[in-house]
Amino acid sequence: MKRFVPRWLARVFSMKDGMWDDAMAAPMLDCESVMRQLWDYVDAELTPERMKDIRMHVEMCKRCYPQYEFERAFLDAVSARRRTHSDPERLRASVLAALQSKGLSEA
Amino acid sequence: MHNDVPAREGTGGRDHEFRVEALRWLPEVTRFALSLERDEADADDLVQETFLKAYEAWHTYTPGTECRGWLFTICRNACYKRRKREERHVRCDDPELEALAAVAVHAAAQQGGLADLFSRFDLSDAIDAAIAALPEAFREVVILVDVNDQSYDSAAALLDVPIGTVRSRLFRARRLLQEALITHARDAGLVRSPRKAGIPGQEPR
Repeated sequence: MKRFVPRWLARVFSMKDGMWDDAMAAPMLDCESVMRQLWDYVDAELTPERMKDIRMHVEMCKRCYPQYEFERAFLDAVSARRRTHSDPERLRASVLAALQSKGLSEA
Repeated sequence: MHNDVPAREGTGGRDHEFRVEALRWLPEVTRFALSLERDEADADDLVQETFLKAYEAWHTYTPGTECRGWLFTICRNACYKRRKREERHVRCDDPELEALAAVAVHAAAQQGGLADLFSRFDLSDAIDAAIAALPEAFREVVILVDVNDQSYDSAAALLDVPIGTVRSRLFRARRLLQEALITHARDAGLVRSPRKAGIPGQEPR
């Protein structure tokens, strides 16, 4: 992720290619705090304020951004393993038939 | 199974309620059952058992509350009752320490030329195998949160454990999965070739 930053500002804050080279110079949070909450952040389980603080850090930090990308790609790969039923209509019909045998009235 | 189900507002009203509030979650319960059971026929049985139990216990459901979570709980309990699970208590570490351990896993992946492992390769079968190989207590949080999109709160309520336990189990499970997948990638020779990377005289694994 590249963002335009004036060269003088990049030098002052040890930035390269528009990202913070020195993670400690990234705004608001230090890298360890971010790493401690990275899973909570990826899962969107933090307060809106904390989500914003971490997003600002991750987007600008050369150390944390690759870690975030790695975890995000991992979770995408895992959630893609969600299986779908081969014949949902048949299953629905059999569930309804079983329920009707237990007394469920027809719709 | 009991047929004499207490009626809430007469059978017609109760059945209508059940259709509107419970049966609408059939696709989600099916997906959940498919994550718990590898075999589709077993998942079908589990879905059917879930809805039969839900129908019998419908008088205990409070209208307007989270019906999907209620059905997931029934489904999960039915699944474990069938399997008569082994001891499912596991030691829990500090979730934040587990989160920090993820840094080491990423570093190992980077060093092994596998930083883009999850975006570059199709690991479907390896992921299924790695999830199946997880200890049950870890597997179920991954299935709930990562595969079935449940929040930490919902998973905690469903598993009847504190939210901190969900976090520590989940983070540990993710680390175990990542380690297993990195090992799989190395064994399968998916590591980026040093020769292609311009390092002469080194053979790929």
